[in-house]
This record gives sequence, C-alpha cells and structure tokens, in this order.
Amino acid sequence: MKAFKLENEPKIKTGFKTPDHYFDDLSAKVLQQINEKEVRVIPIYKRKKVLSLAAAAAIVIALMIPVVNNYNATSKELDEATLETYLSYQSNLNQYDLAKELDTKDIEKIGKSVALEQETLEDILSSNPNIENLISE
Amino acid sequence: MTNEKEFIAQLLDPKTQNIAFQKLLSDYQKPLYAHIRNIVLNHDDADDVLQNTFVKVFQYLKSFKGESKLFSWIYRIATNEALTFLNQKAKLNGITSEALQNKTIDNLKADTYFDGDEIQIKLQKAIVTLPEKQQLVFKMKYFEELKYEEIAEILGTSVGALKASYHHAVKKIELYVTSN
Repeated sequence: MKAFKLENEPKIKTGFKTPDHYFDDLSAKVLQQINEKEVRVIPIYKRKKVLSLAAAAAIVIALMIPVVNNYNATSKELDEATLETYLSYQSNLNQYDLAKELDTKDIEKIGKSVALEQETLEDILSSNPNIENLISE
Repeated sequence: MTNEKEFIAQLLDPKTQNIAFQKLLSDYQKPLYAHIRNIVLNHDDADDVLQNTFVKVFQYLKSFKGESKLFSWIYRIATNEALTFLNQKAKLNGITSEALQNKTIDNLKADTYFDGDEIQIKLQKAIVTLPEKQQLVFKMKYFEELKYEEIAEILGTSVGALKASYHHAVKKIELYVTSN
C-alpha cells in the first residue's frame, strides 16, 4: 500500500455538520441560561431571606417577653407587703394570735425596737390628746 | 489593540454589556463550535459544552485582566470545558477517555450531523491514538487552521514546541492510516 501523506492528499474536512438554523437561536439559548443563573445569585434574594429570618426572630423574641417577665415575677420569695395584706384580709388571724406565736427572742427584739428616746416619748404623749386611750391599750 | 480594549470595556459596562456580548456570541459561536466539536466529536455534547463555555465567559468577564488576548482566553475556557466534559463522561461510563472517543467515532457513521466517509473516520481513529496535547495541536492546526502563535497563546506553550508536536502528530497519523 502506498504510504499515506497528509500533504499529498486533498484537504480532509472534519465532516461535522450542525442542525439547520442551529446558530440562529444559539445566542438566545445562551442568554436565557445566563439570566437563569443570574436570578439564582442576585443579592436581593439573599437579602429577602435574611429579612424574613430577622422578622421571624423578632416575633419569637416579642412573644417571649411576657413569658420571661412572668418567670421573674413568680419567684417563690413572697414580698413582706403581700404577706401582710394576705394575713390581715384573707385570714382570721388577729394580733393576739400573732402575739401567741412570738417566743422570748422575738419579744426581746421588739423590746429593743420600741425603746424610744425619752424626749420622743414625751413629745408623743404631750402632743396626743387621747392619752387615756394609749394608756388603756 | 485599542479595539479589543474598547470591546472589553463595553463588555464590562452594564449599559453596553448586552449588545457587546451579543457581538461576542455571533463572532465566536461558529469557530468555537468547531473547536469544541473537534474535541468532543458529537453534536449534542458540543452544543452543551459550547453553551456552558459562553455562560462561563460571561461569568468570568469581570475577572478577565487582559493579560492575554480575549480570543485566546475564550478558546482556553472552551478547551478546558471540552476536555473536562470528555473526562467526566468517560468516568461516568467507567471507561478511558480514549475508549470513549473510539466509541464516539464508531457512532459517527450513524450520526445525522456527520457527513464523512471512510477517510474521515480513519483520520479520527488515527488522531485518538495520539497523546492529548498532540491531538489538540493537530486539530487546531489542521482542521481549524489556527496560526501557531494563536495556538501557543491558547495552550500556553512555545511555538517551537508546537511545531515539534504537530510534526510528530502528522508522522504518527500517516503511519496509522498507511497500516490500517
């Protein structure tokens, strides 16, 4: 067989063809693909997502405000004023019942706190016209 | 190269971008199609790769620094896309890239978008036996008739190395065709 030489042969074409009008609508197809990809990466979309997340978080926090407040308020330590009001209005306890519950230490404490200065005592007595009332108590 | 600089500026300016990119598409679609088709061989694959190439060109335009010509930059993207496509397709089918190309060439005879006879098929079969670089050089020089300088810019090699590659490729092809 004769040696094949490319340069001796007529130019060999690839033989590749395209469908009719293939190049007519190629650029339209490419631009459509580019637009689709652009839509996927526009920042507005991302911003929308962030915004909605922020809104959801704000709503959750807002809903939790009363819960958190209640949680603090329902702590088990009753304040003195509440206790006093309760005892005086909601129960049959009177000052004699309370006095019965006091032991000697409590009485000593009370004794100390009512140790008024002489002058103050005199002032109270002299300015109070219902002195008999006080004495009878 | 003021024209090219202006054209690149138009491509990057949002106001002129669409018209400029349309021009790029119509200038490059035919030669780039031929370039990609020569690598992937069948029309449907070439169509996919060509569209992907243009999408990538558009996406990467912002990072095009102008250190090479727009022409060779676009061809480089197309070449990479086509080669990556071939390798992925071969991997997907569990065969080597060469086996895949041989299979594709066998299928060419029945391809509606192939108008060749025995010599075309034989030539393609001969090309497949070459190393990847020599295949590229041969296709770009012989079929696409690009200048050595252009091929050198696209493939990032020296003109001297390309001439040697082409010479080797031609010798091997002639030997293959003679003995088959």
